[in-house]
Amino acid sequence: MTPVDLPGPGLWTTSVGSLPKPDYISSGRSRRARGEIDKAELVELERRATREWIEFQDSIGTDVLVDGEQYRGDMVAFFAEALPGLELGGLVRSYGIRYYRKPIATGAVGRDDAVTVEWWQYAQSLTNKPVKGMLTGPYTICDWSFNEHYASRRDFVLDLAKVIRDEALELERAGCRFIQIDEPAASTRMDELDLVIEGMEVVTEPLGAHTITHICYGDFHRAYPKMLDIPVDQIDLEFANSDFSLLDDFAANPFTKYIGLGISDAHSHDVEPVEGLAHGIRRSLEYLLPERTFVDPDCGLKTRSVDEAKGKLSNIAKAVEIVRGEL
Amino acid sequence: MALQSTVVGSYPKPPEEGGSFALRKTLQAWQRGEVGEAELAGARRDLAREIIAEQEAAGIDLVTDGHVWWDDILTPFAGNMAGFEIGGLLRWFDNNVYYRRPVCVDEIEWRGPSSIEAWRFAQSVAGGPVKAVIPGPVTFARLSVDEHYGDHGRFVEAIASVLAQEAFELEAAGARFIQIDEPALLGAPEDLELAKRAIGQASGQLEAATTILCTYFGDAKRLGAELFELPVDSFGLDFVAGPDNRELIASLPAGLGLQAGVVDARNTRLETTDEVAATIDDLASGVGADNLTVSPSAGLEFLPRDKAKAKLERLAQAAARVQG
Ligand SMILES: [Zn+2]
Repeated sequence: MTPVDLPGPGLWTTSVGSLPKPDYISSGRSRRARGEIDKAELVELERRATREWIEFQDSIGTDVLVDGEQYRGDMVAFFAEALPGLELGGLVRSYGIRYYRKPIATGAVGRDDAVTVEWWQYAQSLTNKPVKGMLTGPYTICDWSFNEHYASRRDFVLDLAKVIRDEALELERAGCRFIQIDEPAASTRMDELDLVIEGMEVVTEPLGAHTITHICYGDFHRAYPKMLDIPVDQIDLEFANSDFSLLDDFAANPFTKYIGLGISDAHSHDVEPVEGLAHGIRRSLEYLLPERTFVDPDCGLKTRSVDEAKGKLSNIAKAVEIVRGEL
Repeated sequence: MALQSTVVGSYPKPPEEGGSFALRKTLQAWQRGEVGEAELAGARRDLAREIIAEQEAAGIDLVTDGHVWWDDILTPFAGNMAGFEIGGLLRWFDNNVYYRRPVCVDEIEWRGPSSIEAWRFAQSVAGGPVKAVIPGPVTFARLSVDEHYGDHGRFVEAIASVLAQEAFELEAAGARFIQIDEPALLGAPEDLELAKRAIGQASGQLEAATTILCTYFGDAKRLGAELFELPVDSFGLDFVAGPDNRELIASLPAGLGLQAGVVDARNTRLETTDEVAATIDDLASGVGADNLTVSPSAGLEFLPRDKAKAKLERLAQAAARVQG
């Protein structure tokens, strides 16, 4: 376990990962698709948006920042595009008119160059607070891809795990102290939780950084307390979306790691009032230690508007400030 | 009847690489208020016509409308019944695909047919019969929230009576094949008795239509041979995600049909025609070619269009080869 080295009595603030993209990014992407601007001009817009989000998080006193993933489309496709062995396939529906290019494993997965390090370094250069390194976990990349190469899902996951481990090590060498390896697919199939754990072991085993995983959209009550076996220092979970029902599970089986406590619904347009958010934190502290708790929204905020996301993050910061005063 | 081929239901809506995705463009324009209902309906009909022709060209005997009118299998029905509101997005079983969860807030009542118009159109442009697909009452209830009945059995029966009415209307409109999708039953053996009554409500009043109880995404081991006591004419089983179904079909009673999912609807790897033919041959020797219909393992919408089409072609070729 790598304890966190942050000032204060605990109850730190952070974000899960993605933040909304301002309009100039989407219009920049369309212009790039039409060939009206070049790659460098688009990257410049992405850097500007990253800078604005870092400044915003600093302005509300966030303790551990994210770069907001302004340069990413989908969390799996971003890695699939960069890794040999994976390619993007045709369009597949996620829901309604939302479609994505689902990756296909067509060969053994490897890694040529660093995928995330340059963006992390840029974001970290803009603030004195720590910025999280953000990786997608091997199980989730496997689960959200087609497989035309590997004989088993386990073989696929373990190859991906080595690639993600190498990326994490490179982030660490660049100075990253908080590394998040997202596994949103981890709670989909209970019979594969052992595979999630096995993959994560490969990734985190050599790391000295504080490691985090974010899990969402699943049957937590069945995955708990088994999910505590995932070898990371912190697990980030959604509480607002499930009316804090996981706390009942914590009453029966105490939570033993650092926690990322999602207290604001990432899929609702409402900016929840400060007092309600503070109440959610107080309820949770009946089962959790403040010196082991990070507070954030339930999930990445990329589907919210910029104003909604800023409102949610500001109110979380204010609620944390109030409850910190009561410790 | 000889060995037949069919699809389970959904079909990819995007065009093959490089084509124009007309339905999505029309939907976006419709959401912005730039085009009306008539244009949207026209775009759906155009795509349904194209998809039906594509299934027929691949050599599929019993086609569907590809679920061109639907975003998921529950919303079109829940949205048209009294008593339901449409809730948030949830993961569709273990897929990276979502559905909207129906929330029951009041007494459930029939308010008119939900799927007849789409089926009628599909039938009008198809060369052969078009299979109608409706959700099963147990799956419907298990994937919904009940805030009204407070009793799972009563909730299932209330849904079943509306779905029975839908099946009745489909038969009256001319549907000769009605498939009832019950994927959630695989994980709910405790609902099997309830399912017998609930599905009986629909199948009991049908006279001519062939009914298929369709499962996918796993094996029916936990239900065992008792599955075959459900009052339908044929059973859909997934032999890709549920290889253990191979043992189960030894207990399929004589005279009942098997709709066997034999190519993977959730992975792009293309099975060879030889591979598929071997699987079909094996199943045919077990249940008899006359009782066998072969299909992909689930709806094809999990795949890009070109892969779905290639899989159907191979499926039909393999079936033809086994038929000899
Ligand atoms: Zn999430």
